[in-house]
Amino acid sequence: MSLRPTRVHHPYAMLAPTLAVLGVFFLLPLGLALHQSFYSWDLLTPPEPVGFANYRALWASGELLETAWRTLVYSVMVVVSSTSLGLALALLLDREGRFFAFVRGAVFSAYVVSWVAVALLWLWLLDPQAGLVARIVAALRLPSIDWLGDPRFVLATLAGVTVWKITGYAMVIFLAGLQDVPRAVLEAAALDGAGAWQRFRRITWPLLRPTAAFVGTTSLILSFQSFDIVRVMTQGGPVRASSIFVYAIYEQVFVNLRVGRASAITVVFFVLLVGLTALQLWAWRRGARGKVAT
Amino acid sequence: MSAERATSRRAFALGLVGLFASACQRPPRARGEVAFWFSYGGNNRKVLLDLVERFHREQSAVRVVPTFQGDYFEGLVKLRTGLFVGAVPTITHVVGEVVPYLARAGVLEDLDGVGDDVIADLEPALSQRGTFDGGEREPLVALPFNRSTPIAFFNGAIFRELGLAAPTTWLELREVARRGRRDGAATRWGFECPIDWWFWTALVGQAGGVLVRDGRITLGGEAGVRAVELWQSMVHDDRTMRPPPGRDFNAWEAANGDFLAGRAAMIWTSTAFVKYLEDNASFPVGAAPLPGDVARAVPTGGTFFVMPRGLPDEERRAGLVFLRWMMQPRQASEWARRTGYMPVSRAGRADLETSGFFDAHPNFRVAMDQLSVAARWPWSEELFRVQREAVQPRLEAAVAQRRDARVVLDEALRVAEGP
Repeated sequence: MSLRPTRVHHPYAMLAPTLAVLGVFFLLPLGLALHQSFYSWDLLTPPEPVGFANYRALWASGELLETAWRTLVYSVMVVVSSTSLGLALALLLDREGRFFAFVRGAVFSAYVVSWVAVALLWLWLLDPQAGLVARIVAALRLPSIDWLGDPRFVLATLAGVTVWKITGYAMVIFLAGLQDVPRAVLEAAALDGAGAWQRFRRITWPLLRPTAAFVGTTSLILSFQSFDIVRVMTQGGPVRASSIFVYAIYEQVFVNLRVGRASAITVVFFVLLVGLTALQLWAWRRGARGKVAT
Repeated sequence: MSAERATSRRAFALGLVGLFASACQRPPRARGEVAFWFSYGGNNRKVLLDLVERFHREQSAVRVVPTFQGDYFEGLVKLRTGLFVGAVPTITHVVGEVVPYLARAGVLEDLDGVGDDVIADLEPALSQRGTFDGGEREPLVALPFNRSTPIAFFNGAIFRELGLAAPTTWLELREVARRGRRDGAATRWGFECPIDWWFWTALVGQAGGVLVRDGRITLGGEAGVRAVELWQSMVHDDRTMRPPPGRDFNAWEAANGDFLAGRAAMIWTSTAFVKYLEDNASFPVGAAPLPGDVARAVPTGGTFFVMPRGLPDEERRAGLVFLRWMMQPRQASEWARRTGYMPVSRAGRADLETSGFFDAHPNFRVAMDQLSVAARWPWSEELFRVQREAVQPRLEAAVAQRRDARVVLDEALRVAEGP
């Protein structure tokens, strides 16, 4: 049976549904955002062309760089912590027995709870006066911290809550990856005198690298898309210290009535994400080539 | 055959376009149906829904369908989006500061049709014409609904124990807050007030400033600076004031929560919470006017009923029937009595006076008495943007990080004057 198309337009017809979806829900909005970024518009009155004024205003106010920096810091905290914690939990809990099954289920359960519920739960836990965390800190006679009210801690606190929610997902993916690590090879290495750390470093980790790349990528995307948790827990505050990209876009268009500036942030956000993805792909391919070469 | 196929393809494509277009249009409303978007939770929501229910019992020609749309600002987001896509309610209510902007954008319907008798009976300081400097020259596009002023609430038990009285000057405010603070396992703050544009505006007026002078935005000049510095001193020097966390309604809720839990001896919030705080406090709740500095002044707040322009005639008329009913003295006084907002009808206010309600519930009277020093908002389409973009986000930075008040307000002024 030949795989050659009988008509020249058949491949395009097959691709058309995907292209249509991409076009309507991705390329068209992106093009519109780019177009609107050159206008001053509030949705209600006619848009006025302003050239690069939106970009200049965002740059001059420092909002663009500050938002990008905050988002990057938040993402790094989320990606590094959730990936390493997920891996550690997977290694610890990759055992048979009801107890381990229960703990695995408990850790993963946070992932299936809605973001809003998680945010409300942690708002209550972190209340600086009546929250459980504050009471424990007071009982231990440690200095009290206003986790969500102090600009120095708020981003790390939000990252911590995000990590708490998504680590179960990372753990499950790593557990799946661990099933592909041949037990016979690990047993042989143990018989040859390799310790736990050596077995992990020489056998488990190299085989888990694609899984780690997947977990890292999905965590990165998720952290860049964070909105609900910011909206519910801090509304970007205090002092804009937790205003990350998606929230900043929301704030410009719906609070400040500036569709043009929101579009400009969207365009920059897109360029930044493309750059980061390219960097990640480059690093991954480079790592893969290095692995083949060795 | 191929012609038939082409025709059926074309019909299919047209059908898809038609389906898409109809999905984007506003769903048709039943005859006499009024879609009412509102922004209340808790007790205020219950009172509003009770009123709607009574409206239905008293007549059958108009049916109001109330839909909760989040807090004021979330509701406003949905209104603007609805206006853009053409899916609007018959009636909604919006904060006063945004009325001039929506009016200039040409998206609000004239409401004169509600009736001259209703308009004549409106409490002057709470109506569009009395609330806005210049509002009397504009077409009537907003009818007062839940109108308020900021007032001070104090914990009667703490004040009695410490022999305190409600402060009447800024100096007394600092002293009362100092004496109200108590250290211990859990700090009790002497004073709590959301770092919010509304309360800052009150302080600006008390310091003798106005936001707009001769048509030019000033943000109060030196009075604006002094207002920020008062908060800075109380938070950082006196350490008697807690700025509640969160923005907008979240901060207001946090202040109420701390007050009810006994963690704040005194708070500033809206008169809208009189009933809520009285019902939920385990101690006697006192209310008092805000103190003054070189003057006594408060802004008015709350929301106005508005109707989007361009509704079908029948729907518009049905909406006016409901608005007219809501403006009647009986409804206005019931709304005020069961919430704490001010009655928007003069006859409704007189009813509360003559029936002895204010004598029996003096906390409900505080906001009404303060109306004599209420400052008018400028009728400026920039007012809302000045509030939300220029001032509000910078107040938080000024107080939390103790940034130089002059620098912060200069920055806010540049944003306010910018394109």
